[in-house]
Amino acid sequence: MEQSGTSALLQGAVQDLSSDVVSALRGGDHVRVAGTGAVDGLAGGLAVAAVRVLGADLLLPHILSRTPAAPEALTVFRQTVEAFPPRADAAPIVVWSHWAMSRTLRRLDAPQAGSPAGDEGAEPEAGWLDEATWPFLTHQLAVLAPLAVPGEDCAVARVARSRPVDLARGFVRAVRRRDWQQAAGAGRWLTLLDGVPDTLGLETGLDFVELMGGSDPRVALQVEAARAMRWTGAFV
Amino acid sequence: MTDTRLIHTVGVRALEWLWAHRDGFRLEPDVDPDVGFLERFKPVGELALICRVLFREGVAGSRQADLARRLVDHTWRHTLDGGRMLVRGQRVEPLSPIPFEVYLPYKELGYSEPDVERATVLYHRLNSWAALELDPTRRLGMSAFQRRFGLTPRPPEADLVGATWLARTPEPWTVSGHIAYDLTHTVFHLTDWGERPDGLPPDIADYLTMWLPVWIDDWLDLKRWDLLGELLVVDACLPRPTLDERAWEGFAAAQQPDGAMPAVRTMPEGEPDEVFDTVYHPTLVAAFASVLATSRALTQLAHAPS
Repeated sequence: MEQSGTSALLQGAVQDLSSDVVSALRGGDHVRVAGTGAVDGLAGGLAVAAVRVLGADLLLPHILSRTPAAPEALTVFRQTVEAFPPRADAAPIVVWSHWAMSRTLRRLDAPQAGSPAGDEGAEPEAGWLDEATWPFLTHQLAVLAPLAVPGEDCAVARVARSRPVDLARGFVRAVRRRDWQQAAGAGRWLTLLDGVPDTLGLETGLDFVELMGGSDPRVALQVEAARAMRWTGAFV
Repeated sequence: MTDTRLIHTVGVRALEWLWAHRDGFRLEPDVDPDVGFLERFKPVGELALICRVLFREGVAGSRQADLARRLVDHTWRHTLDGGRMLVRGQRVEPLSPIPFEVYLPYKELGYSEPDVERATVLYHRLNSWAALELDPTRRLGMSAFQRRFGLTPRPPEADLVGATWLARTPEPWTVSGHIAYDLTHTVFHLTDWGERPDGLPPDIADYLTMWLPVWIDDWLDLKRWDLLGELLVVDACLPRPTLDERAWEGFAAAQQPDGAMPAVRTMPEGEPDEVFDTVYHPTLVAAFASVLATSRALTQLAHAPS
């Protein structure tokens, strides 16, 4: 019971953070990181865990708008990166998710000497996607949607760039299966890619995903990110 | 690529079941007029259409071809009473397209009933027949059948394609079961049931090449065997069929030991006639998909570098 209670609390915290990010993406405000003022104790632990789940997207509005993040948001973010280094045997998506957070920290926290920001760090490898079927590829890329950022290259983004048709098929599959979060994540990647089939109807597709699944702030976040990035531009 | 023997065996077993259950192809001459005498003609017409595909493709084994010939003969002689039931159908409901649609494949297989032909030629002259408010895919099929009959299609097929769902190549994530059946039949009519794959306009072929794998993956996982079978037919109508291994293995595994193909998930229970009415269509579709895919697999083999 306690575990499921904690899990529900964490889910709620992730949803709240996602809502904050959606608001910032829509309004151009700072990410406020509501409810994470206290970063010590139980509440702080919960906040850090929630930030870990949300990953680099917590500070996406500042990456896209090239504006500084609020200090308290940056503090929680940095603590999360430091608190959860991936284990040696971690799954690729865990390693990449952490790498994405470190990269965001480097972009926004560069002056902080001695922090992970100063460590350019070796990029993980993306070999696990080499033979990925299009459904698996789409699932993995949707989980790693925080890596879909204009102007930012990495091995995972290069895989995505090389397989726009497979990712488009995965988007259709996810919508058909009403997996709105996967569809939204895939749609965000597709927004940045060349070679997406015109017949996909990506823009209306993302609007449909928002209509059907947008009451979940994590879905809304991906749709809003895609919208914001459509204005910002594709990969360099 | 999928093992051709697996694909072929699905069709052999389907024919065995259809032959064993041939009495299920039955009309109800004394049916309540409100229900309609013509309601039970559809299975008969579909059987003849698919047996004709089987003869045309020439990849059936001797046992399979023999069963198909006997099934066509049985339904013409017994179910349709040598074509007289089609005449009766045209008398009951003169402008219904159903007797004509059922008659056409029998005519192509060498059967003849002059009264059906006379009525068809007359109806073809009627503006009313050309103006029937059929859905766009059915209307396209009517014109295609008129051409195959030897008549000038009214309206011409080229004028009808654009009104179908598929011709507009819409957002692929909106496809539901109903839309999927519409698009499979559009492909059937455009290609004369797989005879002319080049009857698919290039933009439609490209569209299907792009999105069909998603729909096949989806309806395979949903165990909707009837629709999956139709989608596998569409695959075999494409310029480069995938003959998807996972889909064919799942489809073959769903088939019962006696050759019946359930429509959805597993076999239904009930009275034999009820079971027949539920599974005859997916079993016919299995035979259809099997013969076309086998034919395409052999074509690929013939063109493969040695």
